[in-house]
Amino acid sequence: MACEPNRVRLLCMLSLTFSFFIVEVVVSRITASLAMLSDSFHMLSDVIALLVALVAVWFAEKTQATNKNTFGWIRAEVMGALVNAVFLTALCFTIILEAIERFTNPHEIEQPYVVIGVGAAGLLVNLLGLCLFHGHSGGGHGHSHGGGGPSHGNKKNKRGKLCKSERPDGSSGEETNNLVVRNNSPPNGVNTERCRHEIVGNDSEMHMNGVSGYDELDLGQESGSLNMRGVFLHVLGDALGSVIVVVNAVIFTFVWQPCPPGEQCFNPCIDSHATDHQHINHTLLDMSEGGSGFRPNVMGPCWVLYLDPTLCIIMVCILLYTTYPLLKESALILLQTVPKQIDMHRLNERLLTLDGVLAIHELHIWQLAGSRIIATAHIKCHDPTSYMDVAKRIKDFFHNEGIHATTIQPEFVTVNSASSASLCELSCRTQCAPKLCCGAGEKTGGPGSAGPEGAEKALAASVMEVISETPEGEPDAGGAEEAAASLVQVVPRLEPEVIVTREVESSL
Amino acid sequence: MLPLSIKDDEYKPAKFNLPGKISGWFRSILSDKTSRNLFFFLCLNLSFAFVELSYGIWSNSLGLISDSFHMFFDCTALLAGLAASVISRWRSNDSFSYGYVRAEVLAGFVNGLFLIFTAFFIFSEGVERALEPPHVNHDRLLPVSIAGLLVNLVGIFVFQHGGHGHSHGGDDDHGHSHSMFNGSASHGHSHGGHETKHGHGDGHGHSHGGHGHSHDDPHCHDELHTPGKGSSKQILQGVFLHIVADTLGSVGVIISALLMQKYDLMIADPICSICISILIGVSVVPLLRESIGILMQQTPPALDNALPECYQRVQQLQGVYNLQEPHFWTLCTDVYIGTLKLLIAPDADSKWILSQTHSIFTQAGVRQLYVQIEVAAM
Repeated sequence: MACEPNRVRLLCMLSLTFSFFIVEVVVSRITASLAMLSDSFHMLSDVIALLVALVAVWFAEKTQATNKNTFGWIRAEVMGALVNAVFLTALCFTIILEAIERFTNPHEIEQPYVVIGVGAAGLLVNLLGLCLFHGHSGGGHGHSHGGGGPSHGNKKNKRGKLCKSERPDGSSGEETNNLVVRNNSPPNGVNTERCRHEIVGNDSEMHMNGVSGYDELDLGQESGSLNMRGVFLHVLGDALGSVIVVVNAVIFTFVWQPCPPGEQCFNPCIDSHATDHQHINHTLLDMSEGGSGFRPNVMGPCWVLYLDPTLCIIMVCILLYTTYPLLKESALILLQTVPKQIDMHRLNERLLTLDGVLAIHELHIWQLAGSRIIATAHIKCHDPTSYMDVAKRIKDFFHNEGIHATTIQPEFVTVNSASSASLCELSCRTQCAPKLCCGAGEKTGGPGSAGPEGAEKALAASVMEVISETPEGEPDAGGAEEAAASLVQVVPRLEPEVIVTREVESSL
Repeated sequence: MLPLSIKDDEYKPAKFNLPGKISGWFRSILSDKTSRNLFFFLCLNLSFAFVELSYGIWSNSLGLISDSFHMFFDCTALLAGLAASVISRWRSNDSFSYGYVRAEVLAGFVNGLFLIFTAFFIFSEGVERALEPPHVNHDRLLPVSIAGLLVNLVGIFVFQHGGHGHSHGGDDDHGHSHSMFNGSASHGHSHGGHETKHGHGDGHGHSHGGHGHSHDDPHCHDELHTPGKGSSKQILQGVFLHIVADTLGSVGVIISALLMQKYDLMIADPICSICISILIGVSVVPLLRESIGILMQQTPPALDNALPECYQRVQQLQGVYNLQEPHFWTLCTDVYIGTLKLLIAPDADSKWILSQTHSIFTQAGVRQLYVQIEVAAM
């Protein structure tokens, strides 16, 4: 399957890193080097990061909707990216802490040759990882192509085979712009079916779809590559770390003048710090001042000891700088932001210019992941018969904007259409903060905010309608009971809303 | 006519008024009880960290210095929670149509992640020390642990007072009894750069708050409950759990310090660390699971039972052929949003169907519902 390359790469890298981790642990035990052990834990955190990314990719490939996840698992990618970004940040903090510790308490590297060897091996592994993942983050545009079958067995389903997200019942996160009629099945504007893939770049046979691809290509940041970006950054951080280790060890071996075995050494770099060493230095100093002609060896230039933490801090700065955009982006998606390429205000205005659209309420646009954008709105129109045309136009309009999963709730004007054109007929619940719920209608430029009386009348009118309509359409007793029961709730619910609106008006 | 007034302030671009912004933030923080408490606890933790830092520098103890840095790190987590509680109260705008309410969930999730990371870090340090026990300086150990314990006790008192005082408005069909946002975890960590040990619980938990106070977001707060009670209760409960865990951690550290002093049981330190890290890991799991559920747009567990019944009722309405593509998800605590499509007969009364559907789902607790009507052709 075309989605495999990501998984394969991740698995590859994961196994490499894990084996390297084992190697490091063993070496640290053999050489009794604490630094090696802590570095091995660093490797372990890499393994975890890769694991997270793998899990996210694996989940995201299951785009079927289940009862629990009606949108499928697409969001898993964004979550994986966020987790990786957060871990990277936390790691950076830890490294800063350790570097500061090193500044105040520098110590030399024991067995530098082993360190060089292991560091070089780690660097190799990381470079390999960089190559593996570089294509993903650099390319950065996953393509989605026509596929995932919606319910009305339409033409483009054939390509759906390629994507795993094909299902018979059509409830993938991508609702089709299945407008009005089932058997009418108009060509539905551009392409209606999409399916998500993490494919990037190279698998060109996948995207012949002539999709209105402008929206995907524009987006650049797709969630599939978002996750991969996280992995790439992690591996980059590792590579930098390995570079630092190797450079440090190399400089250390060449510049540092170690203590010749068997002789007393005097280490000028350590003595002024941590109190625990003081007693050692006292004895050394005593010795040096004591016996004449006895001159202890002085260890190598001190600045070498400070090289390590300095490099670490530089590395942390680089890492943070590159991680921040990833963090911000995944966080914004999870915050249900409006995708940046969509201008809500302009969209609103253009929607209003459509025929038959009287007002728009509660327009919400958010990004599920990657190029999947979901929009919901209430559209106020004249009457049910004209609604269907309006619906089609609205769907086309959204389609052109690149939003393919829309849910439009129609609202029909009631008796006092003129004054209440800007008010919600329905779903603004009483408990809503009065200002925003239906007040949003005002920003659409409806005929001014209705006065309190108008609001009240409009609501009363709709209550009346509800009351009057229910007896008509109820042939069976069960339905009548239900209608009556729900009616009872309808009425008291609307009244507080009236009060609430009045309060709003008075506060203005 | 030329304009006579030279007062052209309204035409100037708005200046970035930093003091104004900051004072605005303070007002926002202080207006809500939860964020007020969080803020004070954060200040307490910060001051404790500063004191520790200065003491460490003065006495030249590396362990104290590094531990104070660790405390600062934790204070960042508290700060994130506080920021989230302020941000989530901002109004919605063109970029955020739902407002910023998700910030709480996100902050809870990120804090959970930080906690897991910290647990992992402590675990690794514990293992390191088990394999190679460093020389531990006892002298500064106990006073610092005890001070940390005191700070935590203050936290317990503050947040318990807030947390249990509310009785919940009652009729929620959700049974979250455990902390929503974050923070039920602690780590008295026996950290310390190998020099000293201190058990201070870090002020990590913060659940953020302020749901439903001066709320301008479309995500409504339920007026059937008194505003702020629903989510504050969980938040405060979360903070409380967290601080309790912190206290336990401090106590554990103190015990291990005593053990080491009296019986010279060096192994007590790493074992303590490992136990604490496991404790943290386990306690963070419920928090993570919930926030992941919300962030993944999952169907709210609270509605699991109610939804199929609602679907049935809707499908029994006169004129409704079919209900398709239901999507229900949680925006933040107690706020559920749903979309669905109804296929109806051409002669059916769509207005009536719409209002009935809305009322059915409102009874289930979904207040923002978008119903798309599709008329079947004859």
